[in-house]
Amino acid sequence: MIIVWGSHDDPPAARILELLRGRGIDVVHLDDSVLDGLRYDVTLGSGPGGWLEVDGREIRLDAIDGIYLRPGPQRAPTARAAAASLLAVASSLDAVVINRPVAGRSNLAKPYQLAAISGAGFAVPPTIVTTDPAAARAFLARHGRIVYKSISGVRSIVATLDATGAERLSGVSTGPVQLQRWIDGIDVRVHVVGPRWFATAIESGAADYRYAAEGGHEVKIVATDIDGEIGRRLVDLAASMGLLVAGIDLRLTPDDEWYCFEVNPSPGFTFYEDATGQPIAAAIADLLESATR
Amino acid sequence: MIAVVGSRHDTVATSIVEALPGAALCSADDLTRPGWVWPVASSERARWVVDGATVPDADISGVLVRRTYVYPEELVTTHRDDREYLAAEATAFLIFVLSRTGATVINAVADGALGDDAIRPERWMRVAGEMGVKVSPLRLRPGQRLRRPASTATVEVVGRESFGGAAPRLRKAATQLAGALELTYAACVFDGRGVLVSVSTMKPPGAGATAALGRLLGMRRDR
Repeated sequence: MIIVWGSHDDPPAARILELLRGRGIDVVHLDDSVLDGLRYDVTLGSGPGGWLEVDGREIRLDAIDGIYLRPGPQRAPTARAAAASLLAVASSLDAVVINRPVAGRSNLAKPYQLAAISGAGFAVPPTIVTTDPAAARAFLARHGRIVYKSISGVRSIVATLDATGAERLSGVSTGPVQLQRWIDGIDVRVHVVGPRWFATAIESGAADYRYAAEGGHEVKIVATDIDGEIGRRLVDLAASMGLLVAGIDLRLTPDDEWYCFEVNPSPGFTFYEDATGQPIAAAIADLLESATR
Repeated sequence: MIAVVGSRHDTVATSIVEALPGAALCSADDLTRPGWVWPVASSERARWVVDGATVPDADISGVLVRRTYVYPEELVTTHRDDREYLAAEATAFLIFVLSRTGATVINAVADGALGDDAIRPERWMRVAGEMGVKVSPLRLRPGQRLRRPASTATVEVVGRESFGGAAPRLRKAATQLAGALELTYAACVFDGRGVLVSVSTMKPPGAGATAALGRLLGMRRDR
């Protein structure tokens, strides 16, 4: 049996749920909205045991073959306690879990993850995290155009800065800011699903294509091929982080050099699938279904 | 220099600073002061801000981590509306710095987390179980309250040394478990039957453990 944990209006969770149901797999939807009031009794020890109740159905933990996780934030204390308990279970359950909570943690400290990506042999943009305005200005002067973005898992809009905006760097003195050299090229999002990968090219005039429309920019999203060697290295990178599924952000420069920026452990893949028809959800469903055999 | 990363309101952190020669507190205030520089794939020299002063990473021999998060309430000089965001950023920054420094870090970042977040029950229970250490199960259900056993024995582990009045077999088990969990400092609590109840990195170290920590923190990892 498979559990899909996420909000009913979360497109990736809804897509996976629909696919698994369509295949006739025993699947239960754990909606975020039922966490406040969820009945469960689980025990952590050398392995988890116990049960939880979803839609009036008591589910023993040892009957769970796989979990697809897209939990949203919780405000109510009882819902938070339930979420924390279930995440602890998902961390140690003998099942296919996409993805284990601990595997996604590196994305909550982006420069920490960037160093791991660099350590895996991928080119990453020269980066500093600083509270020192003089160091920030020197970095800008050296690179001419830089990107600034958040460090934590809090979503931020990537923005660029050139010499005309140097004075704004005085603001870094109040808290750490991540600055990166601007890398020219085409964005490529690669979704890794187990041993498979799906590459999508994104062309846009915006620094952050996710918000291109708000800046009046067009976005062109197309399925693309990447060299098998790069694909295999990305599969290895995701695996090294313990991720069965990942959305990896890269840029291909005009000199055919690959830069890797980030590994997203909970990718909103439907945005790319809807634009290209790439069967990403089906590949994820395959992984989950394989756990039920 | 030894940097103790913790809150100004953490009396354990401030007492360790007083106990260890050359130690200073790196507080949440320091994380929002000018001076920090930490590179990836760039040539800048790494710098800290400790107790208000800028310090090259090369001058820091050891770092004792006394926090799991930076909390919004600590950032009193930051506008109230920005505290939650900045606290998340500062926590992420600390994880990055502590994973990159050449100093000895106790305890090191694990799985992208600090402090007790790096040693969650589902992790230490599984490892302890695999090692044959008897573990008290942790039951989770709505409204559940944790009850502390009537009698306990605590073993503090610092590197390969152990401290506390527990039986030798418990000290040995705690030392082996800390090693398996890659913890340089850990406090393992056993109940009256010798069953492991908790593992923490945030308990106040005793005098013997503090002195042992000082010895380890005086030596840089990369030298």
